[in-house]
Amino acid sequence: MNRQQEFVLRTIEERDVRFVRLWFTDVVGSLKSVALAPAEVEGAFSEGLGFDGSSIEGLSRVFESDMLVQPDPSTFQILPWRGETEETSRMFCDILTPDGMPAAADTRNVLKRTLAKAADMGFTCYTHPEIEFYLLKSDKLGADGFPEPVDEAGYFDHVPGGVAQDFRRTAVSMLEAVGISVEFSHHEAGPGQNEIDLRYADALQTADNVMTFRTVVKEVALTQDSYATFMPKPFSHHPGSGMHTHFSLFEGDTNAFFEAGTEFQLSKTARQFIAGWLKHAPEFTAVTNQFVNSYKRLWGGGEAPSYLSWGHNNRSALVRVPLYKPGKGQSARVEYRGIDSAANPYLAYAVLLGAGLKGIEEGYELPDAVEEDVWSLSTAERRAMGHDPLPSSLHDAIRILEESELMAEILGEQVFEHFLRNKRDEWHDYRLEVTPHELKRNLGVL
Amino acid sequence: MNPKSPTRRLITAGFADLEKSARLLQAPELNGLEASRLFESLALSADPDQALLLLVRLLEKSPELAGLVNSGPDASEPLFRLLGASEALGEFLISHPENLDVLRAKVSPEPTGTSTEALRVSLLKAVRADPGQLMPVAAEVGQDAYQALRAQYRRHLTELAIRDLCAASPQDFFPIAARELADLAAAALDAALAVSRAELASHHDPDEIADIRLAVIGMGKCGAGELNYISDVDVIYVIDSDDAEDAKAATIGTALATGISRAISSAASEPGLWEVDANLRPEGREGPLVRTVESHLNYYQRWAKSWEFQALLKARPIAGDMELGRRYEQALSPLIWSSSEREGFVESVQSMRRRVTEHIPAQEQGRQIKLGSGGLRDVEFTVQLLQLVHAKADESLRCRDTTSAIAALSEAGYIGRSDAREFDAVYRYLRVLEHRIQLVHLRRTHLMPQSEAARRALARGMLGALTASRPSAESLMASWQRTKRSVRTLYERIFYRPVLATAAHLSAEDVALSPAAAGARLAALGYMDPKGALRHIQSLTAGISRRAALQRQLLPVLLGWLADGVDPDAGLLGFRRISEALGTSPWYLGMLRDSNAAAERLCHILSSSRFITDLLEVSPEAVKWLGSDDGLTVRSFDAQWEEIRAKMRRSHDSAGAIRLIRLIRRREILRIAIADSSGLLDQDTVGQALADADRAAILGALHAAEEQVFESAGKLTSMLIVAMGRQGGREIGYGSDADVLFVHRGLEGVPKEAAQKQAEQIVTLTTSLLKQPCKPPILAERVLDVDASLRPEGKQGPLVRSFDSYREYYTRWSQVWEAQALLRARPIAGDDALAEDFIALIDPVRYPAQVSAGEQREIRRIKARVEAERLPRGADPARQLKLGRGGLSDVEWLVQLLQLENAYSVRALRTTSTVEATNAAVEADLLPADEAQTLLESWQLASRIRSANVIWSGRASDLLPSARQDLEAVARWCGYEAGMAADIEEDYLRLTRRARGIFENHFFEQ
Repeated sequence: MNRQQEFVLRTIEERDVRFVRLWFTDVVGSLKSVALAPAEVEGAFSEGLGFDGSSIEGLSRVFESDMLVQPDPSTFQILPWRGETEETSRMFCDILTPDGMPAAADTRNVLKRTLAKAADMGFTCYTHPEIEFYLLKSDKLGADGFPEPVDEAGYFDHVPGGVAQDFRRTAVSMLEAVGISVEFSHHEAGPGQNEIDLRYADALQTADNVMTFRTVVKEVALTQDSYATFMPKPFSHHPGSGMHTHFSLFEGDTNAFFEAGTEFQLSKTARQFIAGWLKHAPEFTAVTNQFVNSYKRLWGGGEAPSYLSWGHNNRSALVRVPLYKPGKGQSARVEYRGIDSAANPYLAYAVLLGAGLKGIEEGYELPDAVEEDVWSLSTAERRAMGHDPLPSSLHDAIRILEESELMAEILGEQVFEHFLRNKRDEWHDYRLEVTPHELKRNLGVL
Repeated sequence: MNPKSPTRRLITAGFADLEKSARLLQAPELNGLEASRLFESLALSADPDQALLLLVRLLEKSPELAGLVNSGPDASEPLFRLLGASEALGEFLISHPENLDVLRAKVSPEPTGTSTEALRVSLLKAVRADPGQLMPVAAEVGQDAYQALRAQYRRHLTELAIRDLCAASPQDFFPIAARELADLAAAALDAALAVSRAELASHHDPDEIADIRLAVIGMGKCGAGELNYISDVDVIYVIDSDDAEDAKAATIGTALATGISRAISSAASEPGLWEVDANLRPEGREGPLVRTVESHLNYYQRWAKSWEFQALLKARPIAGDMELGRRYEQALSPLIWSSSEREGFVESVQSMRRRVTEHIPAQEQGRQIKLGSGGLRDVEFTVQLLQLVHAKADESLRCRDTTSAIAALSEAGYIGRSDAREFDAVYRYLRVLEHRIQLVHLRRTHLMPQSEAARRALARGMLGALTASRPSAESLMASWQRTKRSVRTLYERIFYRPVLATAAHLSAEDVALSPAAAGARLAALGYMDPKGALRHIQSLTAGISRRAALQRQLLPVLLGWLADGVDPDAGLLGFRRISEALGTSPWYLGMLRDSNAAAERLCHILSSSRFITDLLEVSPEAVKWLGSDDGLTVRSFDAQWEEIRAKMRRSHDSAGAIRLIRLIRRREILRIAIADSSGLLDQDTVGQALADADRAAILGALHAAEEQVFESAGKLTSMLIVAMGRQGGREIGYGSDADVLFVHRGLEGVPKEAAQKQAEQIVTLTTSLLKQPCKPPILAERVLDVDASLRPEGKQGPLVRSFDSYREYYTRWSQVWEAQALLRARPIAGDDALAEDFIALIDPVRYPAQVSAGEQREIRRIKARVEAERLPRGADPARQLKLGRGGLSDVEWLVQLLQLENAYSVRALRTTSTVEATNAAVEADLLPADEAQTLLESWQLASRIRSANVIWSGRASDLLPSARQDLEAVARWCGYEAGMAADIEEDYLRLTRRARGIFENHFFEQ
């Protein structure tokens, strides 16, 4: 029993915690939770807790379903929304095989492995996500058959006495209460759409935070009789919800992306890292944008990036290098704008980091930055400038992912296979659907 | 001295390069010297050539030294020993003549060390700091300070080297020298800290600096007080402060530590001393350079890994604020000794052990003193491991340096006295060797020098000052090799012998290990059930039989080998069983005693293969083969058949004959498995050898059956057995079925029905002879299942057909899948003429001039249906070796499709072997070479894993295992290093995924 485990047990005792939730994540990024009585926590630390992995999406094979979850005591947290009387807490878990080895199918472990690879190259990776979501009146559709937003406001709008503002205040204080620092929050462009930016932290912690964040936001919405959704594109005519994420690599305590006096103060490492993203983005799009619906966000306009391009403070580019503030070399970073809010953060960060590291390893050349608005270029112009499109549908993305040796290596063969299987199934189901669009267009005339 | 020729004189004095030294002796600088005195003195130096050259250069700078030379060898001994042993220190004296007075030191055959305090005072004074202060601050800064500090350090180093070189026994002096080197390094760090404090005054308020206490903790060899002449010095910094806030304290502390490093090793006119290496600190390179005691403690309690605690074993406050250093020591020491209870301890020990014995780079082979089996690290590892295992319960073992630890282990009875003596002696020998080698150029090397002359000088330098002889380079190499051998066996002896003594209740020597301590040792090495293991050891060693006596000798080594396997407990049990079966055979004990290779092979097999262990248990005489590669030479089919025929001639009935035949098959399979596990066979050969063993048995059974049937009715028909599938391709694994077709042709004039009836009798009898239980039973046999389901019309068709019936069938009815199956048809037993005719019959079928589009479609459809239907429900296809994604069947079907389509024109494709057919397809440009390679690698790995499943567990399985131990065992059998179970899984999945891609491209899309 180490100190952190002792700390957890002592807190459980002192705060009279009644339930301990063990959290882990399936391959598509849904949070899974199992509740423990406080008395069982000690055993879970030492031996893990057995469960049937085959019933969790993408975790194990049916015929060998025994798996263990082992709580990571450093992630222990009291959950504030469960009330003060019967305190509930949570810990994130690592998934282990019955003989106690890290399960190859654990997506948290995929990110850990990629971070270990970065560490071998001398880097620590920090990320900083900006998470968008819609606040709806409920999870039911309105009378017109569409979701109903809580307000009709727009970007940075201040809505007096609005549900959203109240909501954001509660959500932010609750996030702070579970130890997640919030940098920024505001109303986004769509009606009922909000954005909350988390303070930067190391990539594993950020991914844990994203999982917690989604839960907190949904819980807070429920308390206010509304419903929060991270669906990539709930409205055809309003912007989708993305999770732009800023990445930076540190070597010891120096920012490896910063170099004074170069173009945009970008070091060679940063340029190679971005080049890795641009080269491999089509391969990992199925991971960062994993649903049928994701591609309606990517191709639905409204600031969503759809072409391989990078630029300095260019909001139409897939990769953006934020404006450099003099004297802030340590905050040099690059932003990937393609990720959905509903991505599995462990996998999304693993593939982005892995692709960037590949760029560094192989010394990729970065093409020129794009200065104009990529959307306003003609198709031929884009082709001439090398701004190839991202996959146009989940189907295309799956086909490209299937062929990617790099992704197989980053995800590990098992997650690679589980993930592909899950996505093929989703595409298959989608193809069977007759959509309202078809009915509207065809039924009346054919 | 007798007058001698100049050349003889040079040789007597030990010169190597006679021409050059003769020339040097003419140098004007030597004019004032008495020649006989000079020669007498030169004889004292280990390397007279080097000593002479340095002497000439020294005299050029400091002619007054001539007096010292002329006053004779007694007085000039320090000079000549030093110049003969260290070019680097000679150069130091040339450039710093103010230190020449060290040469006038009085030497003693039993020198003593300089006190820690004296060294500290001397180096602090060199930078004009007051040693009496609690926090000395230097009056010198910058280059001047660095120069003064480094020169003074080297002066002390020279002094120490002289005492070392003039000692009667360098081995006796070694602990003193090593300790003094550590103290000298500590003193240098103290002086560097004083300089650093002074330099910092230009950036910070002196009061603030004075408020920061800093302690330097020595780690590694410096912490243990057994430093080399030249080595990185491992340190950790601890800070403390009364008033300063944390951030401020950390800033100043870091600056102080950086300043220490600068003073010791930055570029300056006097070169740097050594690297100050702080990478053992918490979080390594990434972590802050300085921490408070609390922060250190916090880290070790929360984050530190197993090896980091083992590194703490050597931690000792050596410089700076000693009170603070001791506080650090007291805070952390409870953590060190409980590390053997930590999770992952066994794994970390095993991986440490692997690192110790791992491969030395080829260019250093035969020259490494430190690394590799029998090297210095081997000794240090053994000592540390014993400390970690036992020191939790026994505080007397908690010492840092190796020589004291050996003494303590012996004192407390964990190592026998004589073993301890030998252990101590080899350790000191290797360390003195290392010291002498490093002293020459003061370079950090652990390699035996290459030149003959350098080795001779080293041989001389290893002897004490009172010995006058000049041993040869060869004698040095011989004594070094002897030492290495001794180290190699010591590990097993010291570690396991006392366990044995405890298990067997022997009062061996003076070792007294409690059963709990003995169990702890076994558990640390990977035995899961130490109690069971102790029981087996007890049974193996109890009693007064010759066997028990010999096993008492051997077991310490065997236990180590068994522990290297996947399942040491099973291995030990297997050994006990075999030993009980064989114990009285004189050759068995002799072989174990005399043949290391055989014993090691046996242990390797027993701890990694259930299949072979089971077979060995029922045929223990096969253990004999382990002793020689001859016994493990695979026997050809002809040789086996010859033996079978001889046996059949002597037996009276088919039942007796078949028993002998099946025993031969069992024996040959065991032989192949052992040869395979010993790395004597490649994979193709294994498949062929197993196929031959099965073929010999089938042929024998057919003959026995024919004999019995013909006896009553006379011969009515000729028989032929045609191998199909993997047996046809001679590519089978352990435990494969034999796929066959049965063919017969009635003799002239025999009615069809009678011939058919007799053929059926023979076939039924042949298969049942191979399968039915024998009396007495054949234990551990894997029964050969003869499977004829690939015959025309499959299970609906008659078991055996006449040649005419085959002809009719193939011309009228044949399906394309049957043509495909015939690709691997190979007659293996029966009538030769019939075989020839049968081949002539099927060749046009299996190598058709054209495969119609419809037939191609049909093959694809069948393959697709097999994939959909034959896989077990719910199975993960990625882990199915045979029918799964990119597995055996994918590769074989693709190659067979290419054969069907092209073998008519490309004759090289007419082969039953998958490997040959694939290569032929590449030759004929039907497959790109890189794709063919991926396909074959995938096919070979899948075959290998299938075999490994049988070998490891004794049961056939078409699954890539998922339990870690199974996977580990399979990985080792497939040639992976220990601990790489996850790698084989990843490799297999990757390889088969690629193979499947290639398969789909070629097979389904044309």
